[in-house]
Amino acid sequence: MGKAKIGLRSAAVVSLAAMALAACGGGSSGGSSGKSGNTPAGQPVKGGTLTMLSLNQEFTDLDPQRAYTGEDIAFLNAYMTRSLTAFKVSRDPKEQGTLVPDMATDTGTPANGGKDWSFTLRDGMKWEDGSPVTCEDVKYGVSRTFATDVITGGPTYAIQYLDIPSAKDGSSVYKGPYTTKGNDTAAYDKAVVCEGNKITFHLAKPVGDFNYTVTLGMGAVPKAADTAEKYTKKIVSNGPYKIQAYTKGNQMVLVRNENWSKDSDSYRPAYPDKIVVKFGLDQSVIDQRMIRDSGADQQAFMRESLLSSDLATVFNDPRYESRRVTNFSPYVIYRVINVEKVPDLKQRQAIAVAMDRAQLRQILGGKFAGDIADGVIKPNLAQDYAPSGMWTGLLGKTIPDSGDPEYAKQLIKDSGKPMPTITYSYSQNPDADKGAASIKSSLEKAGMKVKLNPIEASAYYTTIFDKSRATELMANGWGPDWPNASTVIPPLFTLKGGWDVGLVNDKAYNEKVAAALSETDRAKQATMWQDLNKEAMQQAWVVPTLFENDQRLAGSKVKSASGQNGQLYIGGSAGNWPYNDMYVQK
Amino acid sequence: MSLASDHAVEATSTSAESAEIAGRSLTQIAWRRLRRDKVAMTSLLVVLVIVSIAALAPVITRLVGVDPSSFNDKAVSDAGGLPLGRLGGVSLAHPLGVEPGTGRDLFARLLYGSRISLLIALSATLITVTLGVSVGIVAGYSRGWLDSALGRLMDVILAFPLILILLALSNVLTQRLETTFHLGELVARVLYLILVLSLFGWPYLARIVRGQVLSLREREFVESAVSMGAGTPRILFREILPNLWAPILVYATLLLPTYIAAEAALSYLGVGLVPPTPSWGAMLADSVRYFAVDPAFLFIPGTYLFVVVLAFNLLGDAVRDALDPRAGRA
Repeated sequence: MGKAKIGLRSAAVVSLAAMALAACGGGSSGGSSGKSGNTPAGQPVKGGTLTMLSLNQEFTDLDPQRAYTGEDIAFLNAYMTRSLTAFKVSRDPKEQGTLVPDMATDTGTPANGGKDWSFTLRDGMKWEDGSPVTCEDVKYGVSRTFATDVITGGPTYAIQYLDIPSAKDGSSVYKGPYTTKGNDTAAYDKAVVCEGNKITFHLAKPVGDFNYTVTLGMGAVPKAADTAEKYTKKIVSNGPYKIQAYTKGNQMVLVRNENWSKDSDSYRPAYPDKIVVKFGLDQSVIDQRMIRDSGADQQAFMRESLLSSDLATVFNDPRYESRRVTNFSPYVIYRVINVEKVPDLKQRQAIAVAMDRAQLRQILGGKFAGDIADGVIKPNLAQDYAPSGMWTGLLGKTIPDSGDPEYAKQLIKDSGKPMPTITYSYSQNPDADKGAASIKSSLEKAGMKVKLNPIEASAYYTTIFDKSRATELMANGWGPDWPNASTVIPPLFTLKGGWDVGLVNDKAYNEKVAAALSETDRAKQATMWQDLNKEAMQQAWVVPTLFENDQRLAGSKVKSASGQNGQLYIGGSAGNWPYNDMYVQK
Repeated sequence: MSLASDHAVEATSTSAESAEIAGRSLTQIAWRRLRRDKVAMTSLLVVLVIVSIAALAPVITRLVGVDPSSFNDKAVSDAGGLPLGRLGGVSLAHPLGVEPGTGRDLFARLLYGSRISLLIALSATLITVTLGVSVGIVAGYSRGWLDSALGRLMDVILAFPLILILLALSNVLTQRLETTFHLGELVARVLYLILVLSLFGWPYLARIVRGQVLSLREREFVESAVSMGAGTPRILFREILPNLWAPILVYATLLLPTYIAAEAALSYLGVGLVPPTPSWGAMLADSVRYFAVDPAFLFIPGTYLFVVVLAFNLLGDAVRDALDPRAGRA
C-alpha cells in the first residue's frame, strides 16, 4: 500500500492505511519518551552521517508551500527550509507547542486586535548560493500559495486568512505570481507589506494564533530560482544543509550549506556533517535492520512506524529500551456518523453506545495501539484537551469500553423511529476488515442492521466525500496542523472546514466556532475548544475510538541533544523525531 | 448403438493393453487404470474428504464448539494482539489456534473459507467448460468466417490483462450486480468472481477443443453421419462431443485447482469477499505480516491451501494419464 497523498490533513488516510501495515501499539503515552525532568541532556557531538530509512519512494513535496506531512515539515524545516517562527525542540510535551523565533527576531507582534501581524527578519541569513534572504523572498514564497493550479496539495491558510477580496466564483482575486491576466497583484501587495526587513500580514479577520500559522506553508522562496511546479523536487536551501544528490526511489544526500551561518540562526545546532535518506525500503526490512543494529545501521533511524507485528518483540525486551520510542501519534481515530442519513440524536448516540471500542483497540494491538478516545481533541494538544466525559455520563450513563448493547436498544426505542440500516464504509486493509467485522457484530447486538462497504484505499476519500456515495457510518482519522484545536474542531464539524465528512452544519455550533477562532486570549480559547469538543461528542457526530500511538526504533548511535541522557523521543503535535538536535554519537 | 460408441470400441480394440478383453468401454478402461494408480486414489480420497468437510462445515464446527465470527479477546495478548499459547494459540477450545488481534477461531474460518473457495472454483469451472466446449466445437466444425470471428474473439479475451481488470472494476461491477439483480452483497461478490474467472478462462479450453474438432470432423464416422443426412446440432453434440470427453475432463480437473488458487490470490489482493466472510486469500494476506512472530498463522491456512490444490492437481494428472496413456508423464 503506497503512501500516496500526504499532508497532515489527508494524512488521516495514510494513518489509517498504515495502521494495517505499520503502526501502532504501545503502552500509555510517554514510556521512554516525552518525560520532563532534571536529568542531564545528551552530550552532543558534531560530525558523522545520520541516515534515515523510509518506505516511501521520495518526499511527496520539498516545496515549502506544498509540504503538508508533519514528519516531512519537521525534517525540511530542521535542515533546509526555515520559517518565520518554529516550535521549541523539547522532550517536555508542555513545551513542544511553544513558539520560538526562527527567521524572525521574535514570535511576531499582533496589532489591530489580531488583524495585523508583523515579523522582523534577522540579519545575515543567506540562500545556498550566497544571496541574502530578504523580506521580499518571504512575501514571494507566501504569494505562491495563491497559484492554486500550480502549487497544489499544500496548506492554504494564506488564502483563508489574508485580507484579499474574493472574486465572484469565491476564489481569491489574486492568482499567485505566475499569471498576469486578470490578476489583482495590487490586492496582495496591500495584504502583505515589506518595509525594510519587517513583513506585515493584514488579515481579513482577527486570528489569535497567526504566528503559529506562519510555521505552515509560509516559508521563503527566492524568486530568481523558482521553477514553479518543478520546485518541489529541487529546492534552494536557507538552512544548514543543502541537497547534494536526490534520486527518487533511491536516496537523498544532504551536505553542509557553507553559506548558512550559526550567527543568523539560534534554532539549529546542526550537528551531523551529512544526512542521508534511503528510500523505497520494505518496512519489514527496516524493522529487522533496526532490531539487528549492526554496522552503519547504528547511525540510522526509521522514518515510519514499526510494524504492529514487531511491537511485541521490541517492547517486551529490555535490550531495546534505549533505542525504542513510543508516544501519541498526532491522530485520533474515529467513526463518522452522517447526520443527513442518521438525523436522530438518540439513534446516533445508540451507534456510539453499541460500539465495542475495546475490541477495536485490541485488533490494532491492544495497549500498544493507543488509548481509548473520548473526543477528537487528543491529550497531546495540551491545554486544549479536557476529558469530554463522553463515556462517563455525557450520553446518559457510563458506557463500558466494550459497549452497552442494552442501553443502545433503549435509545433506539426512545427515538420512536425505525433505525436505518447502517452501512459502514472503510478503507480496506486486513486490520480494517477485522475492525469492520467487530463493528458489524457489536451494532448487531444492539439490534441494528449493518452492511459493510470496504473501499480500496486510493479511492476512499473521493468516495466518502461524494454525497451520493457517502454512507451512514465512515472511518476516519485526524491530526492537528499545529498545536491548537483551531485545526481540529472547525475542519471537522463545520461545512467550510473541508473535512466535515459527516456533513454537520449546525448554525449555533458554527457561530460558537467562529467566536472561538477569533478569540485572542489563548487560555479562554482553549476552554471554548474543550466545550465545543464536548458538544460534538454529546451530539454523537463522531464516535471517537482511539488516541493512536506511534512506535519507532533507532540505531544505538543516534541521539538527541534534548532527550533524557541523549535518548531519542518523538513528540509535538506532529509526533515527529527531534530532527533539529539529533546527532551521531562517536 | 451410436456411431460414436462404435468408434470407442474401435479405439479400445487397437489399444494393446486391453487387447485380451473385448467390448470394454473407454470409461471402464480408464477407471481400471485410475484404480491401479496409488497417487490417484490417495488424491481422490483427499479431494472427497475436503469436499465433504467443506459441505459439512456448519455441522463440524458446531460439534467442535467453534464458529468463524465470534471474537475472543481472552485468546490474544493485550500487548500486541498476538495469540496466547503455543503454535498460534492451539488449545482444546481452538484446535488450530486463533487469528491475531481478534481471537477468532482459525479452524472454523479455514473450513468456512474452503466452502466459499470450492463453491467459486466449482461453479467457475462448470461455466468455463460449458462455454469453452460450445464455442470450441462450433468454431472447429464451422471453419470459415464463424471460426475466424470466434478465433479473434478468443484472441481479444486472452489479450485482456485479467488481474488489472479484476482490481479496477471489482467495486463498480459488484455494485452493478447488486442493484440490477437485487442480490445480497456476498452473493454479488461471489457471482462477480465466478463470472470474471470463467468469462476470461474459457478461450484456453475452446482452443483445445477447436483443435480436436478440426481433426475429428474429417473422420469417417462424421462423414457417414453427414451422408446419412444428420443435422449440424446432432453431428456436433451426438457425434463429436462424446469423443471430446477425455481432453475436457483432464482440462477441468486441472482448471479447478487453478481457480482455487486464483480465488485465494484475488482475496489476497483485496478484490475477494466482504468481511466477515472468511476467505483463504484474505487470511494469507493478513498472515504474511505475522510471519516472524506467529508463523503458525501463515503455515496453517497455507498448508491447507497447498494440500487442496496439490490433491486436485494430482487427480487431474492421473485422470489425464488414465484417459490418454500415450501422453505419459513429463
